[in-house]
Amino acid sequence: MALLQISEPGKSTDPHQHRLAAGIDLGTTNSLIATVRSGKAETLPDLEGDHILPSIVHYAKDGTVSVGKSAKLFVCSDAKNTISSVKRLMGRGLKDVQKIKEFSANQLTASGTGMPAVETENGIKNPVEVSSEILKALVKRAEDSLGDELGGVVITVPAYFDEAQRQATKDAAQIAGVKVLRLISEPTAAALAYGLDTGSEGIHAIYDLGGGTFDISILRLEKGVFEVMATGGDSALGGDDFDRAIAGYLVAQANIDKGDRSAYQMAMIKAREVKEALTSKESVEINFMHWKGSMDRALMESLIEPIVDKTLAACRRTLKDAGLKASEVQDIVMVGGSTRVPLVRQKVEDYFGKKPLTDIDPDKVVAIGAAIQADVLIGNKSDEDMLLLDVIPLSLGVETMGGLAEKIIPRNTPIPIARAQEFTTYKDGQTAMAIHVVQGERELVEDCRSLARFELRGIPPMVAGAARIKVTYQVDADGLLKVTAEETITGVKSDIAVKPSYGLNDEQITSMLQSSVSHAEEDMKARMLREQQVEGKRVIEAVEAALAENGDELLSKDERHAIEEALKQLAYIIENGDIEAIEEAIKVVDKSTEEFASRRMDASIAKALVGHEIDEI
Amino acid sequence: MTKAQQNYFELFGLEPNFSIDVPKLSAKLRTLLNSVHPDRFASSGSQQQMLSMQKTTQLNDAFAVLKNPVKRAQYLLQLKTGIDTSKEHTVNDPEFLMQQLELREELEEISSSNDIGKLNQFADKIDELEVAQEKQMSELFSQEPLDTDELQKAIYKLQFLHKTLSDIELAEDKLLS
Repeated sequence: MALLQISEPGKSTDPHQHRLAAGIDLGTTNSLIATVRSGKAETLPDLEGDHILPSIVHYAKDGTVSVGKSAKLFVCSDAKNTISSVKRLMGRGLKDVQKIKEFSANQLTASGTGMPAVETENGIKNPVEVSSEILKALVKRAEDSLGDELGGVVITVPAYFDEAQRQATKDAAQIAGVKVLRLISEPTAAALAYGLDTGSEGIHAIYDLGGGTFDISILRLEKGVFEVMATGGDSALGGDDFDRAIAGYLVAQANIDKGDRSAYQMAMIKAREVKEALTSKESVEINFMHWKGSMDRALMESLIEPIVDKTLAACRRTLKDAGLKASEVQDIVMVGGSTRVPLVRQKVEDYFGKKPLTDIDPDKVVAIGAAIQADVLIGNKSDEDMLLLDVIPLSLGVETMGGLAEKIIPRNTPIPIARAQEFTTYKDGQTAMAIHVVQGERELVEDCRSLARFELRGIPPMVAGAARIKVTYQVDADGLLKVTAEETITGVKSDIAVKPSYGLNDEQITSMLQSSVSHAEEDMKARMLREQQVEGKRVIEAVEAALAENGDELLSKDERHAIEEALKQLAYIIENGDIEAIEEAIKVVDKSTEEFASRRMDASIAKALVGHEIDEI
Repeated sequence: MTKAQQNYFELFGLEPNFSIDVPKLSAKLRTLLNSVHPDRFASSGSQQQMLSMQKTTQLNDAFAVLKNPVKRAQYLLQLKTGIDTSKEHTVNDPEFLMQQLELREELEEISSSNDIGKLNQFADKIDELEVAQEKQMSELFSQEPLDTDELQKAIYKLQFLHKTLSDIELAEDKLLS
């Protein structure tokens, strides 16, 4: 017990503690983890000095799980127990993914929820579990090299990731036992990495061309606030298409039958070499099967130009969504390995009328940006630092009569957001209503992505059109959706946190958590108790900091006393109680600070408004 | 002691008026979000996080309405008179109806002629009409007492011009792709 505490008035009594946080780029082919150390964000290498962790997981018969380079060794020798590109399966249904060529060696099967899973000799593995193995490996790398536990992480997702894919990513983190501070989109992370390095205010475009996806984001940076104005792109367009175009040419030159798969595979490998060689050289000699020839850069460029043009069309649409012209963009950040192709750089420069930025390693830039954001979120920086305002990438809607999708929240709406729409019954005496939540820009439900279905029951029988059913969509700061439906005349309610059609339910997550923990031979109960204790301490710390900051001005003596009593009680129970007791004591603290929290929020708004008025003068 | 729900104008510390400086409002939104956004509470208690999410949601919602002249006019009219013009409503104004038909025809002609220059000229024309309409709206809202019939008409006109502008954009998209 502290006998005496001396602190300056208005300062927290708690000495500021530096917490460890990391940013994770969970990529399709490669993953990275980065952290901020002595003010500088950097990616963390493994023991051999490699920063990149191949996103590959191998499940051996004896139960050993290996991740990264060691798993890569099995790609050829034990293909069916080795899983690569698992990101492509996240949040998808089995039907969506059966055509993906990466999984031709794996036995894809349906798990209970319609989610695809891979049959291995070590059991059936779903994509969320596989991703959690990659996350665990990254977190372990960070904790080993930093020497302490991570307080939380920021994980990046493609801007175009839909609700189901985001939820799956978050579930994977939960199973890996790591606290997610926030999911942020990859292009935004890249902008953070550049924006803070160069400190430049204005409009930024992030052009992110990876192997299989293309993302374009338009952001505005002003006074430390990063605002996503619009995002767009194409989730099936990337550098692989360059290889395919070049391979198509090779196959035609060599006069090979189009159906010859193994020849085509070889052509793809050759195409990639040609593409990479022509990044620096003007012309290359090619030996492909019996065909000998050459390709110069102009020829390659004529092959891939239509693909680059498609990315520019997406840029135009997205600029339009943001209400901007290409000339208003101050700088263009290039992300993704495919932006190394000279034609891409050239055409982007022509379109925007200025040279794109290429100085940060396009492979590391996303993880670095995520680390910067993690450092802010965990509270290592003061309040005046940057703030990130994100948008939803795809419209959220509901199915209406005739299989039409009605938009409730249009794409590029800033989050968090809530929107409500009223519907009514169409039959006399109708007592239930099915609500089908969809995502996408198309008019027909069948062209959109189905996120969830649920039913509002117990509507009192009325004539058709008399009931008033209010459907509310709420999207949180991670871009995750919760839907509530309410009959407003009688108040009958139904709500679900949208668990996507192809996701895991809470029980499945718990059971996976348990099994993953039992593998590590750690007692589940003990771990949960420890987590609850940490949570309790976090609450105490937060309330104490709030009290120190403006307890005096916002609380009466009695009110303050009540809160302090609740805190004391919680502190005691953390040391002496079980999980439930701690949970209960946290609730008591929450209850006792409810009014205080609300006053604090109002006070900070009032202060911000006043500050703003002064700024204007 | 919870405060009564503030209206959208009050949230930004504004008097309820039609005239709004949108860039200024957007700067104010950023200032406010800077102190209430969930990212500021990522390591606080769940209660604080919930409050912050509610506040941010309210601010985002309010901004979406106030920045859009049609929605702002609808909201302001409802706030002042209780009249809801957000649902389908018809307005009897033969003169405007004629003008509407003419403008639609003109747009169709231009769209089928594939002339981007003409389309841009047409967009400028609608822009001008919209500016004039917003000016009239602002005057109507400053009258005492409010002429609710005229206001409803004005909202309807503004809505039409807005719709036409978005149709021009669609036509432009088609022309360019």
